[in-house]
This record gives sequence, structure tokens and C-alpha cells, in this order.
Amino acid sequence: MSIVAGCDVGSLTSKAVIMKNKKIIASHLIKSKPRPKDSADAVMKAVLAQAGLTRGDIAHCTGTGYGRERIDFVDEVISEISCHGKGARWLLPTARTVIDIGGQDCKTMRIDRDGNISRFMTNDKCASGTGRFLEVMAKVLGVSIDELGKLSKQSVAPVTLASTCTVWAQADVIKFINSGIPVEDIGAGINTAMAGRVAILVNAVKPEEDIFMTGGVAKNIGVVSTLEKLIGKRIKKARKADPQMAGAIGAALLSWEKVNGNGLRN
Amino acid sequence: MDEFYDAATRLNCQAIRDWQATERPIVGYTCSYTPGEIFHSVDILPVRLKGIETEGMEIGDTYYGPFICSFPKCLLQLAGKEKFMFLDGAIITPGCDGMRRLDECWRKAAEDYKGILPDFFYYFDVPHKSENHGMAWYIEELRILIKKIENHFNVKVTDDNLADAIKVYNQGRRMLQEIESLRYRDDVVVSGTDIFAATVAGTVMQREAYNQALRRWLEELKNRTTSLSAGKKRLMLIGSISDEIELFRMLEENNDAIVVGENLCFGIRHEGNEIDEHGDPVEALGRHYLQSSVCPRMYGKYKERLALLKQKLDAARVDGVVMQNIRFCDLHGAENSLFERDLEAMGMPCLKLEREYGPMIDVGRMKLRINAFLERLRV
Repeated sequence: MSIVAGCDVGSLTSKAVIMKNKKIIASHLIKSKPRPKDSADAVMKAVLAQAGLTRGDIAHCTGTGYGRERIDFVDEVISEISCHGKGARWLLPTARTVIDIGGQDCKTMRIDRDGNISRFMTNDKCASGTGRFLEVMAKVLGVSIDELGKLSKQSVAPVTLASTCTVWAQADVIKFINSGIPVEDIGAGINTAMAGRVAILVNAVKPEEDIFMTGGVAKNIGVVSTLEKLIGKRIKKARKADPQMAGAIGAALLSWEKVNGNGLRN
Repeated sequence: MDEFYDAATRLNCQAIRDWQATERPIVGYTCSYTPGEIFHSVDILPVRLKGIETEGMEIGDTYYGPFICSFPKCLLQLAGKEKFMFLDGAIITPGCDGMRRLDECWRKAAEDYKGILPDFFYYFDVPHKSENHGMAWYIEELRILIKKIENHFNVKVTDDNLADAIKVYNQGRRMLQEIESLRYRDDVVVSGTDIFAATVAGTVMQREAYNQALRRWLEELKNRTTSLSAGKKRLMLIGSISDEIELFRMLEENNDAIVVGENLCFGIRHEGNEIDEHGDPVEALGRHYLQSSVCPRMYGKYKERLALLKQKLDAARVDGVVMQNIRFCDLHGAENSLFERDLEAMGMPCLKLEREYGPMIDVGRMKLRINAFLERLRV
């Protein structure tokens, strides 16, 4: 059975997955480097080492992510929108709507039973509603991204951020810190602001259940639970693999389809 | 093609330099509701103002403010930077509210940037309805415009000259329509990028010279046999005002797609119908420009525009429609949503792209969405 790979070079993290018979045999995630090519080389080297393979063992590799056109070892490049659709369907076979919050954008998609995209929206206004927004806010607050997510549950009186603009929201957060507002209330306010931006995009694609979330922010329980309240629907969780790996998983699945002749893009 | 690309992608193009050498006037205009035939009939070169070559927006932002479409702001920026100094006149038309405001913003900016206002600076009103009193109003506006041109440039617009100009423009219209029909074939031999460049060039080049160049190109196209469409998805590009050749190039550059039609106000859409060459030429111009309208600025015409679009989509066997709208362009923003609703219901995949006008701002994000859309079409 052919071994295939997917490499997702995002703006914040780069991910690589190796699959055999549509099962993950190795996966790896690194913080992205300034040059997409360096990120791709590093994450691929690490995942190959983990699997005990060489590049020659990979029958087909698909690249995706914002740096997809700078990866020189891939056989094909596919947009992260299609890859996340595929990956989400593999992670949760009942998924019909996918929310992916990446480092520098947010996408919502409706997918068919094969994980193909039937409708999608991406944010096109600003950095709010992206992973970068949370990263900036966590830094100002002096907590990790993981801790930021947990703050919502501890909050008694979440603050309201006056602006969804990342720069002005940052100023708001500094003002709250200086006013002595508890960090969990500020954190909850940040998660709510983030969820509010994403909810607009989710509603725009007229979501069908099951709804599934991919990308690093899927692990932020504060954003996910607030988003559920805002859209009035449950967001399902997958335990098969890390949802942050969905793009790379989807890329590997597209490689598998290509190699096995029933690919959608032959 | 070189002369088309030169005229379409450079403000200071050869066509304008050649005309300047004859010391005859050039008048710029901002909207496809301005009949070029009137100017042509008295040896004035009508040049549609383009926003290309804009670097920065400090003048545009100062007089317009931030919450407005970036196309008219680019025009003001270019005017302030003395890029339109070749103009002897400018006609401002209320194609939309942003474009209407160009009249007052350009005048105001000229108080601070001396000499940027052309000697002949005229606001040409265009009604939003084409029936009855709307048509009478538009024809009246045409007659006033003619009178103003006659007085300022010391010329006489006669019925005979105007009728001749209509004939010259109709020749070009027929050829553009013939080129358009080449896109309806299974094997399309010409790229959307080339066709758009040729169409935009027509808004700059002297019309007889343009017709000659178009004739040569058409003959060459008829002899082409190599298909550019084999294995590609056939796209139509519609939406906000755009003179950007690069937008077409971006859609076609990966060899996954070919643009087989567009519905843009710089595109072929106004060239579809010939102007009546009999009777009162001013009334004929009025009927053509106001009644054959396909712009969402016109009230009560949505169904007509949808039907026309559907007809073009069917004729060119389009696989998907890319709907772009410049941020704050309410007219196309709203109409794109209606088109998307109705075309998707008919089974036609649509992609809405909100963007800024300018030297290919947002390229990365636009490419992502276009790639994903093409992947959707390939399934």
C-alpha cells in the first residue's frame, strides 16, 4: 500500500502528516520559520524521521497552507480550504460544516459526504477572528494560548472589547489590565470577541450539522463554547487526531486519492 | 496586441502621446454612460480615466475619507499627482455616489494642488431610470453637454458628424461582438486577459486607429487553431468597475481556467448592441447608452440584468462565476449577493470576492479563494 504525505505550511505553525492506507503513521508540528521553504523542509524532515522513512518512500505529497507555493518537494499544491474540508471529514465523518481558524485567516466551509467543498467563506476584513488575534492578546495578558482558552470558565464578569480591530483591542486589554480587572474576565472578553467575529462567517455559509472545528483555535475551549452559544449549535469534537493537523491530513488524503486513481483532481 | 496592452496598462501610452502631437484636445470621462461619439465627432479624443499606476493614497484619502470605494480615490490621487495633465477636459458622471463625489473632491483638491483641474471640467448628470421622463432627461443632458463642448472648444457638433462617429463606433462594436463570439466555441483560441486588454484599449485609442488594430487582430484570431480552453474551467468575471488586466491574468495564470466572458463596465458589455444609424443621432445615443444599461446603478432593472447575464453564461458555457466587488461598492456588493443567490439556485457555482482596487492588493488571499473555487469546480 502506498505511503503518502501532506505538508501544511501555515503562518504560525507548519504541520506534516504521513499516511499509509489512510491511517496516520507519523505527524509533526513546528512553529513556522520566516521562510515557508525552511518550515516545510524542517517539518518534513522531522516527520520522516519519526516514521523511519526517507523522501523516496513517499509516493505522493501534497502541499497546502499560505506557504504552499514555496514548497519544492511536493508533487501538487492544493488550497487549504479544500484540504481542511477533506481533513475534517476524515476526523469526523458526520461533519457537514467546517470552521477553520488559522494563524492569519478564518474560513468556514460546507462540505459534502466526500469532504468536497460546496460553499465557503473567508474573512477578508482584518486580523480579528484569526489565530494571530489570540496570539497577540495572550502575549499582552502574559498567558499562553492554552491558558487563555481556559480563562472563560473561570470568569465571573467578562469584559467587552470596544473594537474588533486587533490593534485597538490590544489597547483595550492594556487599559483593563491597568484598571485591575481580573485576568480571567479579560481573557473571557477576548475569547468572546474572537467568537463573535467567527460567528458572522459561520452564519454566512448557513451551517448544516454536524459542525466541526479545525485549526489551533479548535483547542481553545473558551472560544468554542462562546461560539456554540452565538450560533446556537453544538460544535462537535474529534478524538481521532489533533484538529490542528486537519489541513495536513486533508493534503495527505488528497495524495492518497491521487495515487489510488479515484482522486478528485486527476 | 502590444498596442492594446500599451494603451490598457500605461497612463502615458503611445496612443495619447500620438494624439497630443496633433495638438488636438483630450477629454477624460469616468463612466460608460458618457458617449464617446460626441467627442469623436469634433476631433476630441475621449479617454476613459483609469486608476492604474496609483502609488499611495494620501491625496485620495484626504479629500474622500476612508469609507469609500478605492477606484474614484485612485482617480483623485492620480489627478493630484499630475498624472492627468494631458487632459484638456474631464467629464464627471454619477455612475455611483463615489464617482459623483469625484466632481467636488477634485475641485476641492485643486484648491491645494494648483493646476490639476482641467480647463473644461463638467458634471454630466445621468438619470437612474431609462423610461419616459428619464430618457427625455438624459437626451436633454446630452444636448446640454454638446452645447458646452461647442462653446468651450469652439467646435460644432452637427448631425452628420455625429452620425459618422456613430458609424465608426459601430464598426468597432461589431468586431468586438465577433471576438466575443469566439469565446462561445468549445475550443477558445484567445485568452480572457488579451480580450480585456483589447477592450480597455478601446477606451483610450483614437477610434479609427483602434478599429484598424482590432480588424488586424480579429483576422489573426480567426486563423488560430490552438485551443487555450482544453481541460480548463470556463469562468466569467463580473462585478465592480475594474480596468485591471492583472485580475484576469491572476485567474488564468495557473492554466486551470480561462475567462470566457466578463460583465464589467470596462468590458464588452456595452458593446453588444449597435447604435441606430438612422434618425436623430442624439436620440439614438440616448437610447443606446441609457436603455441598454446593464449597470446596477439603474433602478428596476435587476431581472433584465440577470436574464442578460444568464444568456451570456449559457452562450459561453461558463462553469463558474467570479464576482468581485471593491470594498464599499454598495451597488455591486448588493447585486453580487442577488446574483449569487439566483445563479447558485440555477446550479451555477459562484465565488464572491471583496477586495480593494489597486495594484493587485490582497493577491495572496484572493489566490487562495480562487484556487479553492477552481478546486470546487473540478470535483
